Amino acid sequence: MVTEVTESTFDNFVSSNKVAVVDCWAPWCGPCRRMGPIIDEIAEELAGKVAVGKLNTDENQGIAMKYNINAIPTILIFKDGKLVDSPVGLRPKEDLIEIITSV
Amino acid sequence: MEVDVAVIGCGPAGIQAAMHASRKKTSVVVMGRIQSSAIHGCRLDNYLGTGKTEGSAILEEGRAQAESTGARFLGQNVIAAAGTGNGFDLTVEDGTEYHAKAVVLATGISRKKLGIPGEKELFGKGVSYCAVCDCNFYKGRKAVIVGNDSEAATSAEMMTSYASETSWVTWETVADRSLVAKAEKAGVRIYGSKPESITGTDRVEALVLEDGTSIPTDGVFIELGAKSSADLAMDLGAMPEIDDTLKVGRDMSTGVPGLFACGDITGRPWQVAKAVGEGCVAGTSAADFAKGAK
Repeated sequence: MVTEVTESTFDNFVSSNKVAVVDCWAPWCGPCRRMGPIIDEIAEELAGKVAVGKLNTDENQGIAMKYNINAIPTILIFKDGKLVDSPVGLRPKEDLIEIITSV
Repeated sequence: MEVDVAVIGCGPAGIQAAMHASRKKTSVVVMGRIQSSAIHGCRLDNYLGTGKTEGSAILEEGRAQAESTGARFLGQNVIAAAGTGNGFDLTVEDGTEYHAKAVVLATGISRKKLGIPGEKELFGKGVSYCAVCDCNFYKGRKAVIVGNDSEAATSAEMMTSYASETSWVTWETVADRSLVAKAEKAGVRIYGSKPESITGTDRVEALVLEDGTSIPTDGVFIELGAKSSADLAMDLGAMPEIDDTLKVGRDMSTGVPGLFACGDITGRPWQVAKAVGEGCVAGTSAADFAKGAK
């Protein structure tokens, strides 16, 4: 399951999960639309181990600025509440799973 | 303007599709530029019965064949596309709108990288390949658009609504004149030299041109060529694979009713022989679909 994350729920989502992954996207972004189904599959495959959320950067620009996001899709990966990686751009599911599970 | 079949792409796949669709007595328009085909400027020696042949000669002869059965070549790229559920709306560079019952996507695979120092290293740190996606992050910051086609001109004009300063680097401009004028009117600063490198360590600081000019900037948006095949496919309702190819059936159908694909966009081998065979099937299927939809 992918959780819809907003500026008001972001901190809680990150701090209450050992590993939290946030897909930063926007509706008019083609690569983001292609990333959507991949993120859904990752959430299903890593269920119970990793919390997966998605954040609309258009509606939550404060988070985008805080994490210095310049391009989407950007995947923010947190471990124990700390940002450990932030891959940018459309990537295959296997690559992302490897990045996420190796943190 | 109403048409039965719109072919997007002017390479061997698109031209062959146009030939077969127009032979089935449907009205056919072909969008794109022959000069943009991957075989334009190449010499072929592995296509049946032609010996060593210039790619441009095959394309020009093919266009004449397709025109002889009524296909119209517009010589313009698509700048906007949408699936309506009842056909497809397509806008070309001079603003003309077409409504097509069926579409054949034969755009090839996008080759969008500049291949200059700093491009790969600074991707996501100021380098972007999608102005529409990322313009929002450049409010009040400086942006440079790089590219020669109408897509770059449109992106530059759009960026002026976000960035404090928008520059456009275009060294072999083929963008439609009216779109260039719009960008200029919106306040875009135009540079005419080819990019040489992107500088910066943790983030983009400047784009350096071959003539020595250094343009200080926060973002470099690389918008080479026409609208990307993947974006076009999505606008028309199809979802590309991760490598930008489209899955097709035996009749070159994409799963979206009325949308067919052929050539490099359906995957390897990237060969004229394969493109032409698929173009034949796609053009025939699109014409059959359009006739059924009449």
